[in-house]
Amino acid sequence: MGTLFVDKLDPQSGTALEIGSSGDTITIPSGATIANSGTATGFGTAGTNSFSVAGSGNQTSIADNTWTLITFDSENWDTDSCFASNKFTAPAAGKYFFTANLSIYAATDNGNSIAGRFYKNGSGDSQTASQLDLAGGSNIMSLFNWRVTGVLNLAQNDYVELYGKFNMNSGTATAPAARSFMGYRVA
Amino acid sequence: MASLSTKVKLYCTANSKTADFGPEGNVSLQDDSDGKGPYIASWSVSGLAQPSDSDLAAHDTAGNTEETNNTVRSTRKAAYGDIGDQLDEIYKDIDAWKVRIKAIKDANPKS
Repeated sequence: MGTLFVDKLDPQSGTALEIGSSGDTITIPSGATIANSGTATGFGTAGTNSFSVAGSGNQTSIADNTWTLITFDSENWDTDSCFASNKFTAPAAGKYFFTANLSIYAATDNGNSIAGRFYKNGSGDSQTASQLDLAGGSNIMSLFNWRVTGVLNLAQNDYVELYGKFNMNSGTATAPAARSFMGYRVA
Repeated sequence: MASLSTKVKLYCTANSKTADFGPEGNVSLQDDSDGKGPYIASWSVSGLAQPSDSDLAAHDTAGNTEETNNTVRSTRKAAYGDIGDQLDEIYKDIDAWKVRIKAIKDANPKS
């Protein structure tokens, strides 16, 4: 095995440079760093654009039977500043994983149905909808920590929000500080 | 002021229709948490036009009554207790059960 000492590799002609062939393994040894300052496609994106947000206090006056934007004003982390004003905005086209804890309780009277889903660009995404209905409209649901999860295929600048809905016997609901929303890019 | 969902339900009932807020329902209400409050995001009640603000306002008083009575119903239901226990109570002494139920109703009157 020989060692090639050069400071730069450029294509002999054109603009495409290929390293290795199909079936080869290109290894970056332990202790070495590969630094990307350009555009990486096909690798290096999983786990990026990570964020985790929560509420700093109660979100009150959530109306009965109404898809309501859940607000988040406390950031645990936001690696690429993609989260602001209660929404995640995709910095680039790709597939993104999202999960949220829709923590909600009936402030006045119990309910019989809880639902959550992500909204993409202002429209509800039914494939991420998560709902529980009690048969016969039995109003015995008081508090829920309801999980909403999904992978969304986003274009650059598409934005994602969390909406929740609680069908109560009467009155309003409250989303306590335990509510949370997190996600990251997977591809 | 009555909630939008209550007024929508009453508006539909008054026109012999039923509002369904479920995932495949005919009405969807939304609140974007921007201070503007809930609004009707989609409406597909067959044979009935989406209500105007004045249509909804006409049901505000009845809506308040309905919501107050819903709370009363909930309080009464909790006080009545388990239906199985009540059947046992009726079997053993139906008159005593009637007295107890009446006392609960009297203590929690509807509007």
